[in-house]
Order: sequence, then structure tokens, then C-alpha cells
Amino acid sequence: MVILAGVAIFLIVQAAPAIAANWQTNASLTTGPTANQASFWTYVAPLIWGTVFVSAIALVMGAPVAIGIALFISHYAPRRIAGVLGYLIDLLAAVPSIVFGLWGIFVIRPFLLPLTVWLNHNLGWIPIFGGQASATGSTLFAGAVVLAVMMLPIITSISREIFLQTPRLHEEAAFALGATKWEMIRLAVFPYARSGIVSALLLGLGRALGETMAIALIVSPSLKFWVQLLTDGQNSQTVAANIALNFPIADTLQRQALIGTGLMLFVILIAVNLIARTIVARTGPGARNKRAQRKARQLPPTDPGVIATADAAAGPVGATTVATAEGVE
Amino acid sequence: MTASIASRKSKSPRGPIVNTLTSGQLPRFVELYTLAAALLVGAGILALVGFNVVGWLVVSAIVYLVVLGVMSSLVENRRKATDRVVRGLVSTAFLLAIIPLVSTLATVIARGIGVINWTFISTSTSNVFDPKTLAVVQTEGALQSIVGTLIITGMAAAMSIPIGILTAIYLVEYSLAGNWMSRTVTTLVDVMTGIPSIVAGLFAFSLFSLLFGPKAFSGFSASVALAVLMIPIVVRSSEEMLKLVSMELREASYALGVSKFLTIWKVVLPTAIAGLVTGVMLAIARVIGETAPIFMAASFTNNFNSNPFSGPMQTLPVMAYTGYKFPTTNIQGSLDSAWGAALLLIILVVILNLIARIVARAFAPKGLR
Amino acid sequence: MKLKNLAVAGTIAIAATVALAACSSASPTSTASPAAPLSGTITSGGSSAQANAQTAWAAAFQAQNSGVTINYDKSQGSGGGVTNFLSGTYDFAGTDAALTSDQQTQSQTLCGAGGALDLPVYLSGVAIIFNVPGVTKLNLDSASIAKIFNKKITMWNDPALVALNPGVTLPSAKVTPVVRSDGSGTTNNFTTYLSQVQKANWPYPASSAWPVTGESAQQGGSGVVSTVAAGKDTIGYADQSSIAKATAADIQLGTTSTYVTYSAAGATAAFTEAASANPSTKGDLTQALDYTKISGTNSYPIPLLSYDVVCTTFKTAAQAKLTKAYVGFIDSTIGQAVAAKNAGSAPLPASILADVKSSLASVK
Repeated sequence: MVILAGVAIFLIVQAAPAIAANWQTNASLTTGPTANQASFWTYVAPLIWGTVFVSAIALVMGAPVAIGIALFISHYAPRRIAGVLGYLIDLLAAVPSIVFGLWGIFVIRPFLLPLTVWLNHNLGWIPIFGGQASATGSTLFAGAVVLAVMMLPIITSISREIFLQTPRLHEEAAFALGATKWEMIRLAVFPYARSGIVSALLLGLGRALGETMAIALIVSPSLKFWVQLLTDGQNSQTVAANIALNFPIADTLQRQALIGTGLMLFVILIAVNLIARTIVARTGPGARNKRAQRKARQLPPTDPGVIATADAAAGPVGATTVATAEGVE
Repeated sequence: MTASIASRKSKSPRGPIVNTLTSGQLPRFVELYTLAAALLVGAGILALVGFNVVGWLVVSAIVYLVVLGVMSSLVENRRKATDRVVRGLVSTAFLLAIIPLVSTLATVIARGIGVINWTFISTSTSNVFDPKTLAVVQTEGALQSIVGTLIITGMAAAMSIPIGILTAIYLVEYSLAGNWMSRTVTTLVDVMTGIPSIVAGLFAFSLFSLLFGPKAFSGFSASVALAVLMIPIVVRSSEEMLKLVSMELREASYALGVSKFLTIWKVVLPTAIAGLVTGVMLAIARVIGETAPIFMAASFTNNFNSNPFSGPMQTLPVMAYTGYKFPTTNIQGSLDSAWGAALLLIILVVILNLIARIVARAFAPKGLR
Repeated sequence: MKLKNLAVAGTIAIAATVALAACSSASPTSTASPAAPLSGTITSGGSSAQANAQTAWAAAFQAQNSGVTINYDKSQGSGGGVTNFLSGTYDFAGTDAALTSDQQTQSQTLCGAGGALDLPVYLSGVAIIFNVPGVTKLNLDSASIAKIFNKKITMWNDPALVALNPGVTLPSAKVTPVVRSDGSGTTNNFTTYLSQVQKANWPYPASSAWPVTGESAQQGGSGVVSTVAAGKDTIGYADQSSIAKATAADIQLGTTSTYVTYSAAGATAAFTEAASANPSTKGDLTQALDYTKISGTNSYPIPLLSYDVVCTTFKTAAQAKLTKAYVGFIDSTIGQAVAAKNAGSAPLPASILADVKSSLASVK
């Protein structure tokens, strides 16, 4: 924790001169990457917008798919295949972001270009698809797709692990009550795994918010508030990519300004985390009773008399057939 | 579900009693038939507007889901229809996601495999100068990067895995839920996940400059940067995994008079080991591919250096990045070596992953699924 | 977890053994070196423009002095190079922009009262590259360059472009300008050129960050080159030495109707015409470039210059000797020839090399 305090102090000390400086008259801040800004806040605001925007889009695209895959592996796929698939996904979580960046440049960018034109042409009346479509494919859309792909393995690995931990007795109890497989998942798996899923989503979002190289390589940015995903050179820049792009050329004060934007990224992440924690607390299992206060030991209500889930896990798997038969009215 | 329970309660059986075991069921392989039909229909629709593979798959998937849903709700009931549609959706999500992921791997392998040979792995990049022609011939090698990656990531892991797992154990096992200490730690960990990697690199470098003077580029300072990034990931995932260890297991252990420490050591950790290893591997995988903090803290070099406490070191991701961004005059050659480095990095991660899995299996209790 | 750590430790141990083996086998490549061979390590970094030249220089220098290790970190960029230099991390910094007066003042805490010296080491040119199907040769005057990159000319068959290129069929297609998304010395050079030569059509000041939005911005010179090559009807700018097989346009010379193709000799000639010494301290060789003075028939209108920055007084005499020897080698006729051969740069004029030699003599 000392490390964290160190990092925080370091950030604040480094960022303070740039935040306090006069951005309209300072010789260093009026040139180069920080030129033409009224103050630190007008500089950082579009960056924050861009970061949140692209991450949100990536999350919207990636999260359902990721949870879908996790469910597929944990509850739908045949056991033998599931092991292999799980391994494959873990492996993909290990693909470094620089590789995704290169892949985005050489594969995704040309691949999405026709789709970009098509979306812009046919759905241009929806604001986010409007504007002058890119001719090179370096759009925020391409960046968001790559981010979504990068998030998939992380969210999947963690939620799959958690789905697998659902006590077998809960699942079988649901089947015994006549639930279909989906109802069983909604009744037994999701409530059990909720905090874990939120945690997984947060880690995925964390990766997206802080992602540097892939965005820096793919997106063609500008310092603007912009929602049109398919344009070129208009997209809002993200904080991390902006740091990576301009850090090498920046002089001391400009570097401090960039570190200041990093500090703001920090603040966003705290906010995101707080919101997510609140959601977990509100909607976790047994939120309506006093268990909400025992968040840290969020264990599901269990049947009395159950000694160990390990025993149950070794039990028969034949519940499905019984359940389908009884599931009919 | 609540709605369906309610509707079940309110409806009493009406009409002639049918055999509930067989009635209202779609035939067995209906999903396969529907899929085949959907693929045909999809091809038909796409043929009208211009065929492409991606569009075909997307249209077919939509047709499949709609048809299956409608059929099932007509013949069976709404709940079963939902179940079938969700099954379809989940499978589709899986297939949809596999495509980009496999494409990534395929691209890296296809572009990197040509570069990798024993010379590439076993030598560092060398530049040979010919005084007669003044030409400098560069031979790309990855040894300096492989060694750098192993040392830097290894040291980062050695620092952050114990800290991370101990913090998680504290959070789950020792701290009283909701007390200020555990809340502070949790919040701090959450915040730490948000440190932009480039900032971590800067921080480590500045720290080492303060401690050891200005020429502070070293593999060790890079591994400190990576540890800063890694600790919160390890804590987050281990915490989640430890929480999932069923309370009954702990209580059973306590009931036998086992001490708290031994319970954690012999019961909780082995039960959660698979998840812990997954979490740790994810964390390693996350940091092993970091680029920005490495070149902030360990600088860049093509020279071989195996001393983590002095001098610049190179890692595979930095090699891949610089190969793409700062190509030599032989642009294609630099790009090739970038892909080669990327592929090597993935191979390295696979090897580490395998080792971790074997370790996890050795420690895990029997009978867990 | 214990086993895991053991495994890690094992890996490190193995790596170390491999390292030792590699070290012992790698050394005997050196050729016989004259006089007392130098030894030691030079830590440096900065501008990526001179990176390939630095690789070549280091290889050539190490061929003569096998005991020397030279690390040049090209990922830092000019700003990073100067920052690290000023904090004492680097023995010398590569930068595309000479030290500002603030930085010169700062350097006195590190380098003593004499401050730091900007020594020109690398000369090249900014190329305008394009990819228009069917067009292999393109003449551009400075006004249309400014208008294209300022989005005033948006079609390839714009009358202004057609008039400049008789006999070339320009398509009726939109122009896609490709620029740098990261701050860079190349951008600084190019915008300086535009702001000096075309004030009317280029209302922006010189800047290391690209000032116009709404254009395809790519990371790194390599990003611009590959995007121009991969796209259609694209145009971009990049360091001449990094454009590989891309097609470069001929640039109008001053206000004449001569259009100049890049050549190394042309860049050297242009530099000689445009440069005037603008020292920030005694012995400093900062060059102010006035692009409007470029007038020789072969002179390339957009030369690009990069410096190495060294202290006037080093912390240790040994390090001073080593760094002086290396920079001295860079700014020798042979050093410039090595860079020209391997990095595609243009040799600096002999007068500058002589100046560098005398400035270096005062470094201790």
C-alpha cells in the first residue's frame, strides 16, 4: 500500500505545476501538444470523454459476448471440449496488447473499412454513425472493436472460473424444481456469481480505460468532444494513448501536464469502482436483508446439512434429463 | 422466473391430460436442422444483396434464433423457447468471439513463424560493420529480449504474487468485513488497477533516480513498475477466488479443531488453487506484454544485458513495438522481427501457463471439478 | 506458490547461465583497433529520426573500439532525450529541436557554467509521399502543399493541382491527408517550413504537434508511411530516410517554377543556404533554418536537421573522453558517410563538421 501512496503522491506532485500553470501565457504550454488550451481542464476534458466513450462502447460490445462465452464453456459445452476452450481463452488473455495493436492495424482496420462505409451510408442518420466516413479505417470504431476483443478473454476467464464455482447443489435444486437450463442459470448461477461478474467487468474495463498502445496505433485522434465513430482525425483521444503519443516529444512542463491527465484517469477509475461497488452492494444476493453488510463474505444462502460442495460436485450429472421431463406443465 | 412461477401457479390443468413426458417437445435434433435451414436462408438473402462470409454468418445466426424461438414457443412453451434462444445466443456469442481471437493468433503465427529459427532465438541483435563498404549489416536476434522479458517479469512476479495473495487472504480471511482497514485496502487496490501503465513506469524510474542517481535505467526498476501494475490484479482475482471457497469447508475445518492458519493453508488455498493460478497467470500475462513502462524504466537497447540491476534491458514487447514504430531502413525486416518477437512472447506465455497449470494440478485436492 | 517462485528463480538462473555463455562467445568479433582502445558504456537516447544513423554509427564505432557499449534509446523521442539528458541520465541526447533558453539555463546545473552544446549530426529531408492510382510523378508548389494539408484542396483534380501537373491525369477523388498523431520533430520541421514559406495559406505556428484536425493521424513515421501506402488517394509527410518504396512528390523551389526531387546532395546544399548559426552559449552550434533562402537549382526545399546535445563539462573525464570520441566519430567525414550509406541521410557540409570539431575540443 506504501507503493500506492507513493504513486499517488508522485502523480500529484508531478502534475501540480502543470495544473496550476497559466496555459495561455506559459511559453512551454502554448506550443506543441498542449497548445491552444485555455487551461488544464479544457485540455483534459476531451481526453476523459474519449476514454470513457471508447471504453463504454467496447464494454457494450464485449461484455455480453464475454459472459456468453463464459457460460458456454462452463454450462453448455461438453466437458472435454470445455477444458480445451477454457485453456484457449486463458491463452488469449495472455496475448499482449502490442500484438492486438499490430493485429488491429493490419487485420481489423482493412476488415472494418467496408463496414464503416456501409454503416455510414445506410445508418448515417444515427448520430454516432454520421459524419464524413474515414478513408483509411483509423476510426474510433476500429479502436473500440479491438478493445472489445482485448477485454473478452479477461472477462471470460474470470467469470468462467466463478460460474464453475457455483455450488452443484444449487444448480440441481433448480433443476429439481423444474427449471429449464436458462432458468437454472438465472436462478442459481447469476446471483451467486454477480459480484464476481462485476469484478471481471471492472478488470476488463480497467484494461480498456488504461489501454495505451492498441489505441495509439489504431485510432486517428483529435482533442475534441466527438461522438461520430466512423470519422477520421475527429475522434476524441483517450488519456493513455495521448500520453504515449506525446510523451516522447514533450518537455518538462508538458510532461507534467500529461501526468496530470494520468491523474485524472486515476480519478475516473476510482469513480467507476465506487459505482460498481455500490451496484454490487445493492443487487448482490440477499441485498434486502442484512447480508448486504457482510459483503466481504458474500456467500450465498446454503441449505442446512450440506457439508461440502466438493462432495456434491462428485455427484451424478443426470439432473438435466429429469428436469426437462418435469418442466412441462 | 418469478413471472413463470406465478403463471404456473395460476394455471390449472385444462383439457384432456396429455403425457407430460412427451408432449409439447420439438424433435431431438431440431436445433441442427434449424441451423442448416438458417444457413441456407441466410445464403439466399445474402445472394440478393451481395454475398460475403461475415454477413452470411450474421444473417444466418439471426434467422436461426428467430425461427427456433418462434417454433419453440408455438410447439413447446415460452420458458422453453427462452431456454433454446439463450442456448443459441450463448453459442453464437462463443463462435462470434472465437473468430477475432483465432484471427489474432493466426495472424501472429503466420507472420512470425517465418522469422523464428534457432539463430533468432539464440543470438542478440548484432550489427556488423564493414570498413571497406561502410555498410552495416544488421542481424535481428531476440536473445536479449527473451532474457530481459524473463528476468523483468520474473522479478515482478516474485514481488507481487506473495504481496497480492497475502493481501487477498487478509481481506477475505482476517479482516472483519466492513471495517475501515479492509475498506481502505479494497479501495486502494481498486484505485491501483487504474494506474496507467506509462505512469507506473515513470514512477519506478523516478523512484530509482532518487535512490541510485540519474543513470537509473535497469531491469529491476522496470520490474518494480510491473509489480505496481500486477499487485492489484493479483489481489482482485485472488480475493474473488478465496471468497468462493465455501464457508462450510472452513467451518468443518474449525469444527475439527484446526487452527485458522492451518485451515487457510490446508483447506482454503488448495481449494482455490486453480482459480488463484488462473488469476496469477492473467496478471503475469497482462504485465509481460507491457511496453510503455519498460521503455520508461529500462530504456531500450539492442545489446545483451543480463544484469537486472544495471543498464538498459530490452523485452519482447518493446522489441515488437520498436520494430513496428522505428523500423530500420529495411522496413520489412524490422516488421518481420516485430512479429517474430510477438510470436515468441505468446510462446513464452504458453509455456509459463503450462507450468502454472501443472503446479496447480499438483496442489489441488482430489475430486474437485 | 513456493514451487512457482522456485520455477521463476530457476528460469532466471538458466537465463543467467545462457547470458554468460553468450557473452563469452560474442566478444571475438572485434577487429584490431588503433592506439589505446576506449572502453565503457555510453547511455543515450532521444530523437527517432537519427535512430538508424545511430545504429550504424554505434556499429562502426564499436568495430574499432570493441570495449565500448553504446545504448541509444530511440523510443524516448526528442523531448524524452532532452529531459533525461538534463536530469543526468544520458551522456548525450539526440533531439530534432535545439535546447530552448530555459533548457540551456537548466543544463548549467548539470554541465557547469559552460552549459550544453547542440551539435548538428544528422541531415535529411521531409518527403511528401502520396499514393494515387496511376500517378507516379507529382509536382507540388508550396501553396498547394499548405492548402492540401489545411483541407482547402480536397479533390485530386483541383484546378490548382492540374495546372501544376501538365500531362498527368489526376483522378476525381477526395484527397486523404495522412499526418502524425504523436508529437514529432518531423512535424515541427514541416510546420516550420509551411509557416515560413506560406503564411497566407498556413495560419498555424510551427509546432511539434499537428495543428489541423479532421485528417487521418497515424502514430510514428512508419504509421504514416504504411497508411499512405495501404490507402488510396492518400498524401502524407515523413522523414525521407524512412519512406522506403513510397512515391515522393517533387517540391517547388522557393517561388520559382522549378520542382526538385529529393537527393542527399540537394539536402546538403539546401542546409548550407538556409542555415545560420544561432548559438545559445559559447561553442553551441544551433542552426536557425530560413527556408525562404533555399534557392540552388538542386536544393531540396524541406531539409531536416537533428542534433546531439553534450555537456561542456562532464562529471568524469573518462566519460567525457568516450563521448567526445563517439560524437567526434559521428561528425567526421567517414561517420557522415556511414550514416548516408546505412540510414539514407545527407552528409553535413564540411564547414559544420569543422565547427563541431572545434566545439568538441573545448569539452572536458
